[in-house]
Amino acid sequence: MKLKRTLTMALATSLLFVACNSAASPSPSSAPPSTPPASTAPASAGTSSAPASVAPSALPVDPAEAVIPNVEANAEITFWTFYLSPTFDQYIKDTIARFEGTYPGVKVTWADHQATFQDDLKNAFAAGNAPDVINLSVSEGWVSDYATKNLLLNLDDKVPQAVKDIYFPGLWKEQLVDGKNYQFPWYQGLNIELINKRLFEKAGLDPANFPKTIDGIPDLCKTLKEKASTVCDIRLTVNDLISQMVYEGNVKPISDDGKTFTFDSPEAVAWLQTYVDMVKAGTVDNTALTTTDDRTGLLLFSAGQAPFYATGPNLIRDVKANNAQLYADLATAPAPLGKSNVTGKGLMSISVKADTKFPNASMALAQFFTNPRSMVAFAKQVSIYPSSPEAFKDPFFSSAPAAIEDSARPLAGGIIATYADIVPTIPKKADVNQIVLKAIESALFGDNPVPAQQALTDAVKQANELIK
Amino acid sequence: MTRRFRATPYLFLFPAVALIGVFVVYPIVAVIYYSFTDYDIVRPPVWIGLGNYAKVFADKTFWLALTHSLIYLVVTPILITLSIGLAIVVNRKLRGITIYRALYFVPAVSGSIAIGLSWRFLFDRTGFINSILQSLGIIHEPIQWLATPSLVLPIAMLLTIWAGIGYYSVIFLAGLQNIPEELYDAARIDGCNDLQKHWHVSLPGLRPQIVFVGVISSLAALKVFDEIYVLTNKTGGILDSGVTMVFYLWRQAFQLQHAGYAAAIAIVLLALTLVFSMVNVRLLERQDADR
Repeated sequence: MKLKRTLTMALATSLLFVACNSAASPSPSSAPPSTPPASTAPASAGTSSAPASVAPSALPVDPAEAVIPNVEANAEITFWTFYLSPTFDQYIKDTIARFEGTYPGVKVTWADHQATFQDDLKNAFAAGNAPDVINLSVSEGWVSDYATKNLLLNLDDKVPQAVKDIYFPGLWKEQLVDGKNYQFPWYQGLNIELINKRLFEKAGLDPANFPKTIDGIPDLCKTLKEKASTVCDIRLTVNDLISQMVYEGNVKPISDDGKTFTFDSPEAVAWLQTYVDMVKAGTVDNTALTTTDDRTGLLLFSAGQAPFYATGPNLIRDVKANNAQLYADLATAPAPLGKSNVTGKGLMSISVKADTKFPNASMALAQFFTNPRSMVAFAKQVSIYPSSPEAFKDPFFSSAPAAIEDSARPLAGGIIATYADIVPTIPKKADVNQIVLKAIESALFGDNPVPAQQALTDAVKQANELIK
Repeated sequence: MTRRFRATPYLFLFPAVALIGVFVVYPIVAVIYYSFTDYDIVRPPVWIGLGNYAKVFADKTFWLALTHSLIYLVVTPILITLSIGLAIVVNRKLRGITIYRALYFVPAVSGSIAIGLSWRFLFDRTGFINSILQSLGIIHEPIQWLATPSLVLPIAMLLTIWAGIGYYSVIFLAGLQNIPEELYDAARIDGCNDLQKHWHVSLPGLRPQIVFVGVISSLAALKVFDEIYVLTNKTGGILDSGVTMVFYLWRQAFQLQHAGYAAAIAIVLLALTLVFSMVNVRLLERQDADR
């Protein structure tokens, strides 16, 4: 009897432990995204319709915001965002309500999708019920992925020139497919380095002297390893390696006619050799280097186990939430420039489904969320930045920042104005990226690493076979 | 006498047949169809005949994945051996033994993703194992376990063994408790020591369970996915060092959007698992014939 009771207790305790453990651990379908969105709200996807009236704190309706003509009467459109709920529920609902007031008769149904966003969207396209208006990541190349499959609306032919002129030219023209634009640039991030001052001080380094170009990174990592016994937390953009080659190494990945890959040039080999040397010297964390999950590095940094980490200022709040001690010891520096001398490319955009029943209403919603007024309101809630010069004229962007996550605010407009997507359209991009990834891994790891030149030349041959 | 048609039995059968039709038969037929198409999930499939199958057999990564899946079968004999050993240990009438039995079963009722994440934390550069080894002075620099190609598959296999041992030992425990005590008495009278007793009595008595566990654990090993997905953080490991058949299928379907090609891989995997099922049936038939 006693034994039975003990066994029951043990089982009950075990089950409780297991239940708690399972609940606390994300399933593969709720794993963190590979791209750092501005919102890191760890919430499940929520579906909601916009409220009937604007909340008292919301901006009033201004007819001047109605810039898209011929919006269909009584249009009912759906809008999907990526990782914004529940943190920004109120902002989004308020903006939708203001939109519905600006374009009377249009009804919007909003849903936020998170870790399964891409799967949900692909399934929705396959089932013929994709949303009319979609928040897509520019930095991960989603716009070109869907646009090359003719699933998005070509905006260049439909949006009035005066509306195009609202946005920074570099952002409007980024991720063109066959010279056409398929996205309204939405919120932007700044590339900065988060620095663990304690580890830097231990290595006798001054965060203020963080390298201005990526050429300085190998020496920095060597010093950190030798003097602070830590390794660098650097991540290859494994989902888009060609892009990284272009920005960091000024590599020309494909011929002008788009028929031959050229990423085995001396520039490409030099770029890869830098990483080969760092892996060989043991100065980088190999797991973080090749992970598809951007959060792996951020978590390492947040745990105080990495000396620096490249991300956006919006994610400083993750550090603040996870490690208050580290937040107090945090310094930031601009991300080092690559050999292309281009500071970066856009982060998020809003696109319209190609076969929407209500193209004008859908474009109106996408434009409304990305217009200067909506963007300033959004930027006041989180450290993201607008996509239009007009928005940066708001006094908010010239005010003195109070917290470290806002320290880049006064400089943001100038930096974002220089953003450009300098990566040409890559045919069969996912397959080519997989080939490049394997080539890079073969040069970096294994008992007998392949020389960088040979690895890339082999990869070019394979990639060229794909587009023959 | 004419037989009257009665609808009632069919009405009772209908829910089960409909469910099996929708969730089993239709997906199998659809996968067979997609395996002959070029299909990227978002656009309609295009018929390409045997193109995907020709590609499968020329694909180096597929052969690597198949090799890894076959290597993974090593977990089966290890699991059987350790589970029998554990079953013999917990079959003793010791104080508090039921608690041990329950504890060994905990991994079997834990989510595989939760276990995988825990193991990933254990094997992190700054994880528990490196901390222990460093504090004992065995290593001076942390080992990057999951970033070392030759270690990924063994760690995943170790995880499978650890997670499965409790479950399979319960099956063997039930088998042991069905072996008549008189057989052990007879063996003892014949002069068998403990080891010989288990060799000559327990193992033959556990034969049905060994066949059953052998088949289900080898099928599970062939279809391993969760461990690889979590331990390698969806990458399959550096240099595809942990890529197995099901992981490769998943990567092709959902990372590269080659659903048609993934369907062809699934059909090849189905053929392999069918072979194992046939072996299972033959073994069970032989076992019945021996009785």
